[in-house]
Amino acid sequence: MFPSWPMRFHHQQQGSSRSGGESTDSGSGVNTISSKAEANIEPESPISRKAASSSSDHYHFQHHQMDQLAVSNGGAGPSSSSHHHIQQQNQSADKPPNEKRKGISSEKPLDAKTLRRLAQNREAARKSRLRKKVQAYVQQLETSRIKLSQLEQELQRARQQGLFLGGCSGAGGNLSSAAAMFDMEYARWLEDDLRHMSELRAGLHAHLSDSDLRITVDRYISHYDEIFRLKGVTAKSDVFHLITGVWATPAERCFLWMGGFRPSELIKMLISQLDPLTEQQVMGIYSLQHSSQQAEEALSQGLDQLQQSLVDTIAGGPVIDGMQQMAVALGKLANLEGFVRQADNLRQQTLHQLRRILTVRQAARCFLVIGEYYGRLRALSSLWASRPRDTLMGDENSCQTTTDLQMVQPSQSHFTNF
Amino acid sequence: MYQTESWGSPYVPASGRNGVGSYSGGGGDPFERIERLAAESAVVIFSISSCCMCHAIKRLFCGMGVNPTVYELDQAGDPIAGKEMELALMRLIGASSAAALPVVFVGGKLVGAMDRVMASHINGTLVPLLKDAGALWL
Repeated sequence: MFPSWPMRFHHQQQGSSRSGGESTDSGSGVNTISSKAEANIEPESPISRKAASSSSDHYHFQHHQMDQLAVSNGGAGPSSSSHHHIQQQNQSADKPPNEKRKGISSEKPLDAKTLRRLAQNREAARKSRLRKKVQAYVQQLETSRIKLSQLEQELQRARQQGLFLGGCSGAGGNLSSAAAMFDMEYARWLEDDLRHMSELRAGLHAHLSDSDLRITVDRYISHYDEIFRLKGVTAKSDVFHLITGVWATPAERCFLWMGGFRPSELIKMLISQLDPLTEQQVMGIYSLQHSSQQAEEALSQGLDQLQQSLVDTIAGGPVIDGMQQMAVALGKLANLEGFVRQADNLRQQTLHQLRRILTVRQAARCFLVIGEYYGRLRALSSLWASRPRDTLMGDENSCQTTTDLQMVQPSQSHFTNF
Repeated sequence: MYQTESWGSPYVPASGRNGVGSYSGGGGDPFERIERLAAESAVVIFSISSCCMCHAIKRLFCGMGVNPTVYELDQAGDPIAGKEMELALMRLIGASSAAALPVVFVGGKLVGAMDRVMASHINGTLVPLLKDAGALWL
């Protein structure tokens, strides 16, 4: 409360010394407040008196003596503050050295424009701090999400092993053992991904030679080859786990195509970020986008046909032989594995082709972009999950997010008053 | 179930013509049969009518504007010949499981199963191959 007084009372000064000044209106508005504040000084303790008097050079006291007394004593003063007329132009008030007011209390009048600029600077600084905070928070979330998923999977596996009676998948838990295994490996893969990305980043910043950078880039490609291999193995046992995207975060799952990313969409995302490219490279990229689109379309149509065929098998009509019907249906369902594998194959080939089209440095940047994009998508899922809602479930996280995100608004209205 | 008619006529279903069906056993082993049939058209797909991956590969070529010649091995006039060829194709592409088909030949040369076809399309080698074989015009 007290620190803000000097400002307001300074406004008073402006209002009185300049006729028709910009600050007159605000000054008059503050008038009542300040006089009220003054009046409130009286019943308060000597401490408040001291605070009031230390900022005395901003207001003009009718009783000079009183003022000097207050300043020198720094202590109790008579209750004549109510007699003080603030409007009076008495410039002879002492100016005790006070760092805080040096900038404000100069003879040059501080107009509203400067104040606004200062306010905007503070605003910008606050926004930048907020941005940094959010970034750090996102990073934190991502790390803890990975840890959490790892823990969950380990817990599942332990539970599975305890209850496992052999053969039956899904016994005692939501996940089959193959699925649980995959989730665990995938969590580890995500950690590796972060590591690879920081290697790429470091390599680019350190301006490594192309041959050195190539090693890092090729390692990243192998890293992706590894996840495709993993998915291939899992597809044999639990293709539904892959194709329904249980292993992915909600935002990723939303845009999932056949158990993973859609290559043509990835390339679309990359096109704008890969500048500068030679004309030949541009053609190569567009050609890649085109051919992956065609391949995706073909696979999607094949999958549609599979679904149609399955529906025909198990839908309506007289059931001559139920078990036979089911056996046929199971046979058709088994084809799902093939489609997920071909989709992963397409994804893998697309990444390899990107590597071929781009130079080493471009490829490094490209894979960094890809990694960061999916990292952000995953973080988005986490933030979404912890966003403030009107439901009963109020996380601690959501409160923090709300406070942070709403910080900006009140501050804007705060400054428009002046 | 798959019906050849339902695919429209961008490509020519050959089972029933002078292809798989009418070439009865006795003469020629399946490999020779395959080689002969593959050489007869620019793009040859050996397929199973009920297989949806085969459907996907047909859609791929049609989407590119290519007119493939399709041999449905399950609809061959002689089912034994069909089965023999299926096994032979499995050996040709080195497939360990029964899921050998579809298999694609372009310009009489073996391209492979779905994964090879897609890989060659992505790495840009399929289109020139098709153009050389006269299956695709710019």
